[in-house]
Amino acid sequence: MSFWFTVLRQLGRNLRQTWGSQLMTLLTVSLSVLIFAFFYLVYTNMLTLGDKLGDDLSLIVYLEEEPEPELQEQLNRKIRSFDEVEEIRFVSRAEAYERFAAQLGENRDVLSDMPKDFLPPSIEIVPLKNLRSLNQMKVFSAYLARLPGSLKVQYGQDWVERFYYFTRLLSIIVLLSGTLLILTTIFMVAYTIRLTILGRQAELELLKLVGATNNYIRTPYLLEGFLQGLLGSSFGLCSLFVLFNWIKLRFSGPVLLNLFEFSFFSPTVSGTIIVVSILLCTLGSYAPMQKFLRI
Amino acid sequence: MNRQLHSPPMIELIKVSKQYPPDVVALKEVSLSIATGEMFFVIGRSGAGKTTLLKLICSMETPSNGLIEIAGQPIHQLKGRHRAKLRQRIGVAYQDFKLLIDRTTAENIAISMEVSYKKPQLIRKRVRSLLEQLDLADKHDSITGELSRGEQQRVTLARAIANSPAIILVDEPTGNLDAATTERVMNLLHKCNKSGATVVIATHDDSIYRDTSHRVLELRTGRLVNPVEEVSG
Repeated sequence: MSFWFTVLRQLGRNLRQTWGSQLMTLLTVSLSVLIFAFFYLVYTNMLTLGDKLGDDLSLIVYLEEEPEPELQEQLNRKIRSFDEVEEIRFVSRAEAYERFAAQLGENRDVLSDMPKDFLPPSIEIVPLKNLRSLNQMKVFSAYLARLPGSLKVQYGQDWVERFYYFTRLLSIIVLLSGTLLILTTIFMVAYTIRLTILGRQAELELLKLVGATNNYIRTPYLLEGFLQGLLGSSFGLCSLFVLFNWIKLRFSGPVLLNLFEFSFFSPTVSGTIIVVSILLCTLGSYAPMQKFLRI
Repeated sequence: MNRQLHSPPMIELIKVSKQYPPDVVALKEVSLSIATGEMFFVIGRSGAGKTTLLKLICSMETPSNGLIEIAGQPIHQLKGRHRAKLRQRIGVAYQDFKLLIDRTTAENIAISMEVSYKKPQLIRKRVRSLLEQLDLADKHDSITGELSRGEQQRVTLARAIANSPAIILVDEPTGNLDAATTERVMNLLHKCNKSGATVVIATHDDSIYRDTSHRVLELRTGRLVNPVEEVSG
């Protein structure tokens, strides 16, 4: 009789004997994974959304005077000394006029009576496309407003601030749900294994006396934790996938959901969530064994 | 018998004492050697220390003082896998049976072979053979909790010898049996002994050791009363 045959048979017995609490634990693990994965999915999609919005996001600093090349160089250094940026563009009055005229298209005639230098020169700053830069916009704009010769700084201030607070809130929720996942998986699995062990105390005692090794006795319980982690996280992620697709299908009409391509976890992220859940549940099953299963 | 005396000791106890809290002395400085392949009787009244002696030999209990060696190995100093392997070589029929009462007779007997990963066919064959020898062939699939005390006692014995252990420890093997079944049980133990197992029987039933040619030791309130001696046949 091979080791794995006996271990799997023992595992089957354990599952049959305590199927009620096993089911409850499986549901708890699934629910914890679902809650965590849901918020993490929203968070990752918000990060992607932030990146995409950041593509079109730039700060415009309107200047009193058109800067000379030397001053341009100085301003460039000053801006980059505060933070890394993707691009800095100086827009002269004439360039601003040309852009405006191009935007007007067929109606550019309205500018015919206007002087070509009526628009102020400006600096367009394109920040790095990441959330950190996005979150720093407020501080950055305040810094730019203090630059010599600066008239006004413009960017989507309200939107950026709201987005910043929203992502901060999301990251806190992700952390909390992650903690919930860790606590529930470890404690629930540990509790279930403890129940199984106590329910089979007589048999375990006998197994020790007839010469069962530690591995023979413990491996089924470790496998129990492993299975709880594997099945619980898989059910949790599958439920989220179904929910995700249902939301996409159900709310495909509203503008907001059509503006951005929301995506599910990559196979790597899904795999990582499953592996971490398995590790946590196995750890949960290891703890009571150390206490109750010593030869 | 002479062959056994010249054999290396299978079980050796040197000045072994066992005290239970607060101050109950179960065994007091017991020293004895049991040779490989010997059949040995430990007799004495209830509470004399017979069961404690067997529990110490099978490492179910640890001695308060003294040294116990099984096949030259100090059993209470062994840990983990080594201790488990040694326990696989010791078959014990407990006085309180220690049966899994929700399992079948066959499952109870098989458990001692499963832990040493015997092949399923071999286990099935051995279980059937033992049940026949102990007149329990029709109880193969019976739940042990539903068996009579005498039947449970025989199942315990079958489990103890199923794995063909080097040492067989039997605690009151005939306590619940009639004369005919007692003879069957003793025949089986003699058979195991003849095939090389060291058998230690703790009993107060003088019918099973009265005319024996094997050594008999008496325990009285935890002390070895008779010196270790060979009873001539």
